[in-house]
Amino acid sequence: MANFLTDYLIPFAWILGGIILTVACLMGGMAYLTLFERKVLAKIQLRIGPNIVGPFGLLQPIADGLKLLTKETIIPSGANRAVFILAPMMTFILALTAWAVIPFNQYMVLANINVGVLFLFAISSLGVYGIIMAGWASNSKYAFLGSLRAAAQMVSYEVSMGLVLVTVLLCAGSLNLSQIVLAQSHGWFGVSWLPGWYVLPLAPMAVVFFVSGLAETNRSPFDLVEGESELVGGYFVEYSSMTFALFYLGEYMNMILVSAMTSILFLGGWLPPLNIEILNSPYLGPIWFVLKTIFVLFCFIWVRGSFPRFRYDQLMRLGWKIFLPLSLGYLLLVAFVLVYMGWLPKVA
Amino acid sequence: MMPVPDLIPALPELFLAVAAMVLMMVGVFRADRTSAVVSWLAVLALIVDLVLINRGPLARTVTFNGMFVTEQFAIFMKSLIVVGSAVSIVMARQYNERNRVDRFEFPILILFATIGMQAMVSANDLISLYIGLELQSLSLYVLAAFKRDTVRSTEAGLKYFVLGALSSGMLLFGASLIYGFAGSTNFDQLAKVLSSEAGLGSIGLIIGVVFLSVGLAFKCSAVPFHMWTPDVYEGAPTPVTGFFAVAPKIAALSLFLRVMIEPFGHLVHQWQQIIWAISLASMVLGAYAAISQSNIKRLMAYSSIGHVGYALIGLAAGSAEGVRGVMVYLAVYLVMNLGAFSVILCMERRGESVEEISDLAGLSKSQPMTAAALAIFMFSMAGVPPLAGFVPKFIVFMAAVHAGLIWLAVLGILASVVGCYYYIRVVKLMYFDTPAEALDPTAGGNAVRFVTAVTAVIILLFILIPGPLLATAEAAAASLFQG
Amino acid sequence: MILSALAFYLFAGIAVLSGLMVITARNPVHSVLFLILAFFNAAGLFVLLGAEFLAMILVVVYVGAVAVLFLFVVMMLDINFAALRRGIRQHLALGLAVGIVLLAELVIVVGAWAVAPEVAAHTAPIVNSAVTATNTQALGAILYTRYIYAFEGSGLILLVAMIGAIVLTHRARAGVRRQVISKQISRSRAETIEVVKVPTGHGI
Repeated sequence: MANFLTDYLIPFAWILGGIILTVACLMGGMAYLTLFERKVLAKIQLRIGPNIVGPFGLLQPIADGLKLLTKETIIPSGANRAVFILAPMMTFILALTAWAVIPFNQYMVLANINVGVLFLFAISSLGVYGIIMAGWASNSKYAFLGSLRAAAQMVSYEVSMGLVLVTVLLCAGSLNLSQIVLAQSHGWFGVSWLPGWYVLPLAPMAVVFFVSGLAETNRSPFDLVEGESELVGGYFVEYSSMTFALFYLGEYMNMILVSAMTSILFLGGWLPPLNIEILNSPYLGPIWFVLKTIFVLFCFIWVRGSFPRFRYDQLMRLGWKIFLPLSLGYLLLVAFVLVYMGWLPKVA
Repeated sequence: MMPVPDLIPALPELFLAVAAMVLMMVGVFRADRTSAVVSWLAVLALIVDLVLINRGPLARTVTFNGMFVTEQFAIFMKSLIVVGSAVSIVMARQYNERNRVDRFEFPILILFATIGMQAMVSANDLISLYIGLELQSLSLYVLAAFKRDTVRSTEAGLKYFVLGALSSGMLLFGASLIYGFAGSTNFDQLAKVLSSEAGLGSIGLIIGVVFLSVGLAFKCSAVPFHMWTPDVYEGAPTPVTGFFAVAPKIAALSLFLRVMIEPFGHLVHQWQQIIWAISLASMVLGAYAAISQSNIKRLMAYSSIGHVGYALIGLAAGSAEGVRGVMVYLAVYLVMNLGAFSVILCMERRGESVEEISDLAGLSKSQPMTAAALAIFMFSMAGVPPLAGFVPKFIVFMAAVHAGLIWLAVLGILASVVGCYYYIRVVKLMYFDTPAEALDPTAGGNAVRFVTAVTAVIILLFILIPGPLLATAEAAAASLFQG
Repeated sequence: MILSALAFYLFAGIAVLSGLMVITARNPVHSVLFLILAFFNAAGLFVLLGAEFLAMILVVVYVGAVAVLFLFVVMMLDINFAALRRGIRQHLALGLAVGIVLLAELVIVVGAWAVAPEVAAHTAPIVNSAVTATNTQALGAILYTRYIYAFEGSGLILLVAMIGAIVLTHRARAGVRRQVISKQISRSRAETIEVVKVPTGHGI
């Protein structure tokens, strides 16, 4: 019996605790991300933003959540019930699953698997199903059009995103996210305290990744999927109450996820901005990581406040005719430089 | 870490692959009127490829960890294929322009098909066999449907695709059975396994070989896997049909030869019966079904089925002499078919292509030279001495007799007598029937007319100097039996 | 390990069940969704085997790209599968016969595995099992050396498929106004605006 306890129960409880903690932090973070977004947008547009509920509007997310919870869930009569209900659940679950492999510092990661990057890539490529299913099950033309747009858009941008990932793993020599972060811990030009983040040598790739991330999460200026002005809300027109809330949560969760991926791949994850002893404590790791993620999130909102929505053909042109050749070319360049200079990472 | 394999034996394939991709870039980035440029550059690439092939190592060379092999046999077959492809591109120029399908992808697809065919000829592993085969087939499916605005071309492409996929499935199933029973996909290893007693007795392995030969028989349109041939030949654009009739057939047959002789040479008693049956069936069906055809492209389809039957006699013999017969047969077949299709490409009336056999009536009055050339091709295909078509038929029949397949030889001769009827019917139409409205005398263009003239001269004069071809084929056939 | 056995039966069971649902579901969209579930469970089985790279690639390629297009097509086409199934009773016997033949052959294959005892000697191990390399490294190390020919050949096949799709479907449509951004940006003030002095009471 003791065997059973030490072999199964304790590790299981430990993992479960980690999962619950991560999910709780994420939910909280996500709730306040909506507030953050509204505040930042308001500042950009010279407004004040939510300031009624609680001090500085701090209780606004809770009020929103309560409102959504108490509404009635409406399922349209022509809808395909099972798929209609499944779609938001799928979006939400997938958005949560991806967090299993995100390292918060060198030791804090739920599943330190060898193919972490691929896992994230796989999960993000699954995200499109929630949208397609929702659009189809709603039995509404606006929803269907929205989901068709989403599918084409996400499949298109995945290609260049994949090439960016290949470039990064070429530099790091591993698909493990922790290894990728550690590979960025060596400084530049022999100066050990400079941050060796990949954003510097791979700057064009970082931009491509960020913009593709916008497209993957259907954020402005690529939010044609929702496009209030043309599709009256896109794939989730027919959703209400908690089903809608799940989509909403999933979307913001994906946003945080892409920001976290950007900070791991290009901004050195948990590494401090200056590689000196006092900043390098493992306890400070998660803080650096969260700060970097918040910075990328701010950029997401900043872009939303600054750019008008793309037209659909422009979106496709950007993906296939600009990003794809650019990332392919840069991949070749990086490979050439690494081989020519003998800088290829050593693998076992 | 394994070393990078030796690339030199595969130089022709590598060159052609790079050339095809460069030409694609040329085609994409040059704004308009590119197809003429790309076509001629593709022909140039094929000529360079031919030179590279013939400068390759004569001795048997294996590379890519046993996946790729080249020897005199491969050089001979690849040379035939490359000539067929290059001439097909040249002949297609004017047809494509007139029929508004003049797109630069046409020569590029032919180049890719040629790479696939060269890979088939050089395959020394079930995996590389399949990859070469698919590269070739995929290009051919697209080429068949190239005239995409006509229903018949689209139908031809679709039919070819669906049936081709089915046959690929059969072939793969056979290959997986062989792998399952012999434990290897490499031809040399398979030969080694089969040389032992235990390897020979395996039923599963033989079932695998049967499925593999079904797939291969489909690709070279031998009866009973020929059903797609007439429809695809009729529906595809005429230059594409001409290409189909020569290069892929040569590739499929040389693959057939290599697979049967090299890895499964020890199973000769098992597969000999299969080859015997499909060879006879092809000859008979090719002869009888062609009689009732009214469309010249369908006629050529049945004619090619019959020719595959004759060529397979050489394989059924299973000897070096038989293989030499097949090789000579394919060389002569290439020239005859290119010639015949160059005449078919010239069949135009008031600027429109016509394809009925009856349209040829009275051709001897309006275009005596063209009629004479077509008559030469028809007599040669029928196997009338002293034209070129007689020589290889004679060799394969002799090989069959020497291998003890006397009945096959006798039945083959009977079938070729029946075959004479429909070939000579075309000649009779041209010379003795009342002329229909005359065909356009200038149709086809200079390049096609030039091909007609050259091929007709070769067919006519081959009997005078057959030595070089026969000697090369003999050496090449012997090289296949060394492995 | 009980856990991995449990996980195996879970994945395998769901994979088989969803495979069954693919062919029995009335709604074609449901069929595709079950197909995706089957893929997903196959990926799970790969993970159990320690082939994590293959598992992830299976999800990325099949689930993330191929099945999306399937789903697309099935949603866009209004296929009446009930009508397609109407003839199933007539063809059931033939289908069963083919299935039984294939099954019998599989049984023969498994039953008579490795005909020649020396087979094992012929087939050298592809990857040295003592190597501690990760999945990804091991696969890369043989794909780009031992199987480079097959790998590049497959690349050519895919290229031809792409060319073929473009050749057969792409049409340059006439009368479509294209946006040329560089042209829009490089317009100067002089060629777009004309300042005209309008005399009072005359108009232009």
